Amino acid sequence: MSPGRTALAAAPAVVLFVLGAWETCATREAATSVPGDAAWDAAAATVRARYAAGDLLVFAPDWVDPVGRLHLGDLIPLEMAGRMDAARYGRIWELSIRGAHAPEVAGLTPVTSGDYAGVRVRLFERPTPTVTADVLEHVTDARADGPLRPGLVLAEVGFAPHRCVQIVPHGGTPVRITFPQLALGTELVGYVGLADVFTRRDVRTPVELDVEIGGKLVASAKPGVDDGWVRFAAPTTPGPTDVVFIARAAESNRLVCFAAEARK
Amino acid sequence: MTRTRRLHVLTGVALALLTTIAVLVNQRDVGIARDEVVYMEYSAHYAAWWRGLVTFDHGISATNITATWGGPAATDNNREHPPLMKEMFGMSQWLLHDVLGVCSELTAARAPAAATHGLAVGLVFAFALELFGFGEAILASLLLLLLPRALFHAGLACFDAPIMTWWLATVLAYYRALDGRRWPWLVGVMFGCALATKHTAVLLPFALGVHYLWLGGRARAADPARRWALLVTHRWRVIVSLAVLGPLVLFLLWPWLWIAPITHVAQWMSFHLTHVHYNYEYLGHNWNAPRFPWHVALVTTLVTVPVVTLAAALVGLGRWLGLRGTLPRAPLLLLVLSFGASIGPFLLGTTPIFGAEKHWMPALPTLCLAAACGIGWATRALAAAVVAWRPAWSETVTRQTLLVALGGMVTLAAATETITAQPYALTSYNALAGGAPGGADLGMNRQFWGVAVRGVLPLLAAEPPPVGPQPRFIYTHDASPAWGLYQKLGLVPRWLADAGHEDAGVAHSDVALVVHELHFNRHDYMIWQGYRSVKPTYVLRSDGVPIVSVYERPASPPP
Repeated sequence: MSPGRTALAAAPAVVLFVLGAWETCATREAATSVPGDAAWDAAAATVRARYAAGDLLVFAPDWVDPVGRLHLGDLIPLEMAGRMDAARYGRIWELSIRGAHAPEVAGLTPVTSGDYAGVRVRLFERPTPTVTADVLEHVTDARADGPLRPGLVLAEVGFAPHRCVQIVPHGGTPVRITFPQLALGTELVGYVGLADVFTRRDVRTPVELDVEIGGKLVASAKPGVDDGWVRFAAPTTPGPTDVVFIARAAESNRLVCFAAEARK
Repeated sequence: MTRTRRLHVLTGVALALLTTIAVLVNQRDVGIARDEVVYMEYSAHYAAWWRGLVTFDHGISATNITATWGGPAATDNNREHPPLMKEMFGMSQWLLHDVLGVCSELTAARAPAAATHGLAVGLVFAFALELFGFGEAILASLLLLLLPRALFHAGLACFDAPIMTWWLATVLAYYRALDGRRWPWLVGVMFGCALATKHTAVLLPFALGVHYLWLGGRARAADPARRWALLVTHRWRVIVSLAVLGPLVLFLLWPWLWIAPITHVAQWMSFHLTHVHYNYEYLGHNWNAPRFPWHVALVTTLVTVPVVTLAAALVGLGRWLGLRGTLPRAPLLLLVLSFGASIGPFLLGTTPIFGAEKHWMPALPTLCLAAACGIGWATRALAAAVVAWRPAWSETVTRQTLLVALGGMVTLAAATETITAQPYALTSYNALAGGAPGGADLGMNRQFWGVAVRGVLPLLAAEPPPVGPQPRFIYTHDASPAWGLYQKLGLVPRWLADAGHEDAGVAHSDVALVVHELHFNRHDYMIWQGYRSVKPTYVLRSDGVPIVSVYERPASPPP
């Protein structure tokens, strides 16, 4: 047998042997690669030392969120956990492992950063828009045509928590929800999605949400069952104005959830 | 029996026993799967019915059959699943727990699945011994034993591991029946057992049929008269056995078929052909409606079977290609077809993907047999190379030494994966994926059936009991069906009662659990709202990946 053929013949066994050795080591390495509670305690202590009321805490990757809340959940009020988005938060703490990044801090530069045995703590600061009105704070003032009443709920939309105005339109019949004299700024920003994984599974058609200001359509969104929390926005003229949200669903039992803020 | 034959039999039996024991030991830390509760309940009824029949406590009537085995609704008396394993679970509960008292009713119910898994390992040993040799047979057996997910499923009183056994038994019996024996009854009986275990057995004829026709083609080619009839008649007794004995065994084992058999078989199949799609996370997306990605089965297999087993199987497959057409009765083609029939439907994009690997477990013996063949072949090639380099060395000794070394390394890697994965094997992924954390990064399914709750029971049991007669209530969502059994087994105190379902259950609860799956996030949010807090008091993790959160209602919730 030529040396070349000999080496070729030996290759599968050698490869399998090396692969076996690698897998044995890699399996144990992977099993112990995630930082434990001691690391999280140290990271949490750092956050608590500089925490200010209203700071947003985010964890990455998503799947480590329960561990983050175990250590710092007392600093996360329900309103923050179920936020519409992160725009109103000027200081954001990101606690992350395995090199992951939270989407809330994408494009920002940290002002401080530290690593605590695998838990990376970064603080971000940025200017924030002024929120002149939040529809969630005006649900009780809202008027809906017909017998349906919108409710304020903490819902699962796209497998994430969102506080939102929820309305369940009858199939084929639009529902108009008017927020009277909402103090608008220069922009209206909102999100809409379909709540509840099981109704999303059983009824697959999308829903529509239109936004009217002063009788004019200014924004529209059409979230489907796999779209999650869909953003919409429109420039606005500052001042108090009626804002109307019109929810449409072709079929019944669609849990339409939306939130919106007037910002300047 | 020759000494060699005795050694082979003893080795096969020892490996089967070792597997059964390993499964029984492992299942002690595995929580109760949601479906197990249902199967255990009806298995006790089924076993009691059979005992009543043989002791003449009752006869056979449409009324008493319906009361135990069926009913008008699709899931009455669990009639949507065939009975064989449930009958075994029930008999085992009665014998091992009720009569002998040697183990808990849970372990007793699970024992038949453990034993059938041992049988699967024994069958793989026998098959590999016949095809490749003694060393390969041991390796194939160990590689089947050392599959993390298979070991896990084998410890449940469910049908997923057992169908692998009966499927493989049918394939092996079919292969042997092709030798021209006069009474190939065993293949029909094994097929009947497979049908009586799980509906996926109806896929077996696709593998056997194609293989049979292929052999028929060869028989026709060898026939001077080139008779077309040979395609079907070349081993006609095997066909008769499968077609007659298979359904007959199913019929005999399932009293529900004793009344309106055609209707009831049609209802059984219809249930599974129109089954609801449960939620299942795959590559970061929650899937609960078709079309599903065609690659779910392939990728899931790629990241749940030990890497080295997969690599060895690839080598083995290459070897099989080299051997094609050289072995009588084409066993390698048969194994490949068996793999394809088991996993193929999941490439269609419409077959439900929830449960993932448990539904194509019959594909696994082919992988292990190919891997063992691959290791054997690679070792022989290496030995030949070594001897070419050192001609003074004995090729036999060199080959055996290398087989032990390479086989040992492969086994070590598979064992490391398997041991690391337990008892939360549904959360575990192989080294290629990066283990459980890598699987979470990839957005692969975290778990299902609520089994991980078993891991927080010691914590809950250590809670101080309530003052006064009122129990404390716990919201358990998908562990709710198992709660009564956990209490019966003494794993949680009686004073910690299940609070009920959804928002009302949360409102009623003092403690709450969330089993982490993507579509169970909603339970977190219900609890946050109910407790006015997002802070769990404990998070159970598997290799750092959260699998269960525990919340306690704050004494004074924040405003």
